[in-house]
Amino acid sequence: MTLAQDDGPESGGDDLFAAEYVLGVLAADEREIASRRIEADAAFARLVDAWEVRLSPMADAYPETEPPIRVKEAIDRRLFVAEPRAGLWSSLAFWRGLAAASVAALAITIAAPYLNPPVEQPRLIASLSAGGSDVRYLAVYDAARREVGLSHVSGERAAGKDFELWMIVGKNPPVSMGVIPAGQTAHMTISPAVQEKLAQGAVLAVSLEPAGGSPTGQPTGPVVAAGDLKSI
Amino acid sequence: MLKKVGYCSSMEAHGAPGAKERFRRCNTLQWNNLGQLPNFGNCLIWQPMTPQDISNLIVRTSMKDRAAFDLLYRQTSAKLFGACLRVLKDRGEAEEALQEVFVKIWTKADRFAVSELSPISWLVAIARNHAIDRIRARREPAAYIDAALEVADPAPGPEAAAVAGGESERIYRCLDELEKDRAAAVRGAYLKGESYAELAVRHDVPLNTMRTWLRRSLLKLRECLER
Repeated sequence: MTLAQDDGPESGGDDLFAAEYVLGVLAADEREIASRRIEADAAFARLVDAWEVRLSPMADAYPETEPPIRVKEAIDRRLFVAEPRAGLWSSLAFWRGLAAASVAALAITIAAPYLNPPVEQPRLIASLSAGGSDVRYLAVYDAARREVGLSHVSGERAAGKDFELWMIVGKNPPVSMGVIPAGQTAHMTISPAVQEKLAQGAVLAVSLEPAGGSPTGQPTGPVVAAGDLKSI
Repeated sequence: MLKKVGYCSSMEAHGAPGAKERFRRCNTLQWNNLGQLPNFGNCLIWQPMTPQDISNLIVRTSMKDRAAFDLLYRQTSAKLFGACLRVLKDRGEAEEALQEVFVKIWTKADRFAVSELSPISWLVAIARNHAIDRIRARREPAAYIDAALEVADPAPGPEAAAVAGGESERIYRCLDELEKDRAAAVRGAYLKGESYAELAVRHDVPLNTMRTWLRRSLLKLRECLER
């Protein structure tokens, strides 16, 4: 094989070009050509897919890394936030609101030097519920106070049973945050380790457990309420 | 202890997606005398999703089912973020890339139907290709510096290959049939998205030699995998 034969991707034929694309070695302009061909040429797209299948086991070596919660929030903003309505500019309520907001903003600007400097502390909120259960809680995670505040909305625990709160991050098994004290509101202090994980976004779940909490360290009873923590 | 009773099925997606669906419960629903709640007793089990579950989520995402998309993100974002980070080597850029990857997944989920790839491999391929496109656009001029500073990944030992198991064991066995530096170049290219130009500098050979090496290596790999 001479060097001249190896010069361009064309010389290796479509199959090698597909292989080089999948391997990731092509330059920007060559990748651009390959992407366009994948869109336009079904036969070439199949060659690429076959090489993806051959080489994909190497991707097992990528370690899993939980992304920060702001990534999902940004995705949701990009995909799901509705465009402002056309009628907005002619809405009286909008202009009144804007005027009020301007006054409020001005007041804040004037008052700002006298207030405490703002501290970046995440506050996350979750509405906990589940189908087939009438148990509902509202949970607020307050990073500054290192606690989760729970407001009991509905659903009673059975006699001799307790509700236990769990945190679930990514695909990991649930981590107990403790038995929820009875009452309308409850404040549960959380450990620094749990706090760190909560800040990245997590699911909170409530399970029905024997009095005093799960004997196994994992939920043993039904999950009666659950929900995602979202930033406010 | 948690014990499996009867057979299990995923819970339906409604209400609070994400949490509930990752608990699987048995189909043998028993009521007990504890009040209103159906008691799943010993049969509440915690399970990671199966490839079939992930496929279902991709299909539902293609039908613009947002709950399915949220759950798909929860289940797969860590792996996809790992791929973006490895290629881009910059957290901020990897976060941006991951955003774009999931926007792509939302809009192009219907393409999954025509691929032969397993669901997770299909998702990783989107992330990997997107990250590589980004890195090519970004740093063609800086390639030499990066390549010179970087130390080559050590080849995974037999224990790593054994742990990986199954399909990856097979590809590592085939990589072992290649000459050492060529196998390392293939791995570096695949995992980190290194270009011919970068690999040529790293391995101190002319670009065309690297191209010939890798093309021959790819053909040998295919021959070995299809043996």
